[in-house]
This record gives sequence, structure tokens and C-alpha cells, in this order.
Amino acid sequence: MNNTLIDFEPFVEWDNNPFILFSDQGKILYLNNAAEILFGYVSQKELYNIALSYAPQNFGYRSTTLSLAYDTFNFHSITVGYENEEQISLRLYNTPRIQTSHKLETDKFITTDINILLEANIALFKTKNTNPMRLLTDQDIPAFKIDQNNFSKLLRKSLDAFRASDSIDISLKLLIGQHVMIEGKKESLIQLNILANGRYADTDNEIRSLADKSQIKCLLKEQSIKLEVPLIQ
Amino acid sequence: METFFTTSDKVEHIIKSFNLTKTLFVSSIIIGEPYTGKKSLARHLFPDAFLVSGKNQEAVKEALENYDELIISDFEKLSNPSSLDFDNKRIIATANYLGNATLIDELFAFIYTMPSLKERAEDVEYLKALFMKEACETLMIEESRVDMHSLPLNLSMNSKSLKKSIYLDIVKLSMDEEEIQEVIYQYILKNLDGNDGYRKYLGLYEKPLIEAGLKKYGSQLQLSQILGINRNTLRKKIHEQHID
Repeated sequence: MNNTLIDFEPFVEWDNNPFILFSDQGKILYLNNAAEILFGYVSQKELYNIALSYAPQNFGYRSTTLSLAYDTFNFHSITVGYENEEQISLRLYNTPRIQTSHKLETDKFITTDINILLEANIALFKTKNTNPMRLLTDQDIPAFKIDQNNFSKLLRKSLDAFRASDSIDISLKLLIGQHVMIEGKKESLIQLNILANGRYADTDNEIRSLADKSQIKCLLKEQSIKLEVPLIQ
Repeated sequence: METFFTTSDKVEHIIKSFNLTKTLFVSSIIIGEPYTGKKSLARHLFPDAFLVSGKNQEAVKEALENYDELIISDFEKLSNPSSLDFDNKRIIATANYLGNATLIDELFAFIYTMPSLKERAEDVEYLKALFMKEACETLMIEESRVDMHSLPLNLSMNSKSLKKSIYLDIVKLSMDEEEIQEVIYQYILKNLDGNDGYRKYLGLYEKPLIEAGLKKYGSQLQLSQILGINRNTLRKKIHEQHID
């Protein structure tokens, strides 16, 4: 065994699974990149409480299988460990994305400005509905490859779910630091979030199936629909 | 290039959406009553697109193989629409009714509903003026002789019935005595037979005379004076001609 000291920090830092080191007071002593993003969606206290609840009885490490979901993050298990009274670590393991059974025919995809498709679908929605709508978009999102027809159908169905909602907030943003592997290539993600006071869920299955066809992750909640779209280049 | 006019919010949203997707390869369909301007709109927005009618399934299939941009009219008449492949094509279809909703939902990304003319009051005014001008030109009648506001609107078949009613009304309004006699002459020449012709065709003159007179003068007493006939004779004629 080589006695040279190895610096493991970069390995932890760039691990896709969130890693957090808390003090005995619940303060954050260290967190890696993935955890930093996660903290946008869950409070420090909540994760600290989880760490305490699942901590081993004595010094050491304990892994527990459990299902955790924060926004678009899903975890299938955690490891909690401590070697002294001052520090406790929590590591969360990402649930793998379900691989779609069909292969994406990316060569048939056409480079598209998503803002155009979104605006066209909003115009279509407005031919049938008069709900007030707010749109917050990022015009700098680069054009990317997508099946325009299928994605338009997905947008139409997603918006239609809000046909009776009071006011609709739509936002489109780049998910900084988040990526997805598609056909061996690392692609950035954008998130389209449609939010209102409530929505219809009658076409949720169709939305899921259309999203699946374009490898889009969809999160269907009572008041919102979130679509995570890979920016295939 | 076909022109298309509208001030309807709904139609303007349709146009906006089409303009945004003009360069994209998506499939769209416009569904609405006959003669609401679906095909005109498609032609106006996509002047270079190949046009094929859904009445001929084979022609549509062939067009799909040869063109990336295609207008398919009368989509509801296609015998087997589910067999069509719209992948990476720019399709603009028009249909008079929805038909199989599930299939339309699967085939098309953009499904637009064209409002009927009854829902587009401003567009009706525009079309009315347009058809009137056109009719006056075609029939060589001076526009000043026609009172646009007196023209009745028939929107039962959207622009088709509107156009027809305007043409007919302009013809009627512009006729002079001689032309009216000519019309009656032609009609009688075609239809006169039997053994009670005089009484039968007298109505052609008497009925409009009494109806118009009653509308203009209100009372039978006054009308009988205007017509210079006895009040009882007028009453008898009203009864004979089944006038309310």
C-alpha cells in the first residue's frame, strides 16, 4: 500500500451524487457541486434531520434504502456516517433515469429555437382560452436538436392541462450544472415549468408518453408540469 | 398570392402561431365550418406549398413522398388518414369537421379551430364590402346605386351564402321596370300551362304589390286608397294571396 496521501476532495466534489458534511450543530461544513444544486430545492434543516434520523448507532457508516424526491431529484438510498462527535456526513444516491426502450433517432431531429415553438403553442392556446398568462423565458437558450412535431404535441397537451386555470406562469430556464447522458454524449438540460393554481390531469399519461419519446423528463404535480428537455447538439 | 383579411382575435392568434412555425417541420390542421376561409388562409400563409385534396388518398400519398411542404384540403374526406406519415414534413391540413378526434390529436401538433363568420362581425363587414364591390364590378352596376346597409346578411353557409345573397340583392335592387318585366316574361314563358293560368300567375304581380304596400302604408284602409280599389276588394285579395 502506497503511503502517499491522496486528496479525495475533487472526487467527491465532482461526484454526481450529493454529499454534505454537517457540524454537530447542523451547520454545513462542506458540500459538493451536486449538493449545492440540491439545496436549491430542499432546506438544510430537512437534510440534517434526515442525517440524524438515519445515523448509525455507533461511529461508522450506515446505508439505508429509501425513496426521496425533491423537485426533479430522486434518490434511492442514503449513507450517513460519522467518525467523531463534531462531524456527520450525508450522501444521497441518485435514482438512475429510466432508460427509454426506443432509440432516439437524433439524426432526424432538427435544430430548433425552443422559444419559437413555445410562443407558437402559446398563440395556439390563446385561440381557445383567455386565461391570463405570464412568460419568463431565457432568449439566450441555444438552438438544439429536437423532434419538432412531437415536442409541439407535448407542449400543446401540457398547456391544455391548464385550460381552466386562473393564471398561468410559464418559465423556461437553463438548468445550470445539470446534465444528462444521451447516446454517450453529455447534454445540458433546460427546464420548462408551467405553474397555476390547479390543472387537469386527464391527459397525464399522454404527456408522459410524448415526453418519453423525446427523452424528456416530466414531473406532473397537482399544480404544475415541469419538463426537463435535453439540449441535444 | 392570396390575400386574407381578419380583425378577429382568434384568427389573428392562428396567424401568429402559423407565422412562428412557418419554418418548422410541424403538422397543423385548421378545422371549421365550410366557407370560413381555411384554405384561403393556408394559401395566404404558404403561397408556395403544394396543394392536394383529401378526396384523393393516393394523390395525398404521392404528394407526401414528393414534397416537404404540403397543404391538404378536405382532410375529413381522406379514406385512411392513419396511414399517412407526417414525420419531418410541414403539413397544413384543412377540414370542415373534426371527425376522429383521437386520430387528429395523434397526427397533428397544432390543431386550430377557425371561428365561423357569425363569430367574426368585423370580418363580415369587410367581406360584405368586398363582395359588394366585386358584384358591382361584375354586374357593371354603379356602387352608388346600392345602399350597403340595406343588404341583408345570410351567414348560414358563411362566405358562400353571404356572397350569393349580396349578388342576388344587388341584382334585385338594380333592376328597372323593363328588367323586372323581362324576368317575369322568362318565368311565364317557361312555366305557363294548365287552364287557370291567369289567376295562377296574377299572384306574381298582386302578392308583392300588396305586401310592399302594407309594409309601406301600414293600414288596409290607406293602402286601398293608394291603390284606388275598394277596401273589400283589397281584403279579398289579401285572403286569396294568403298574406298575413
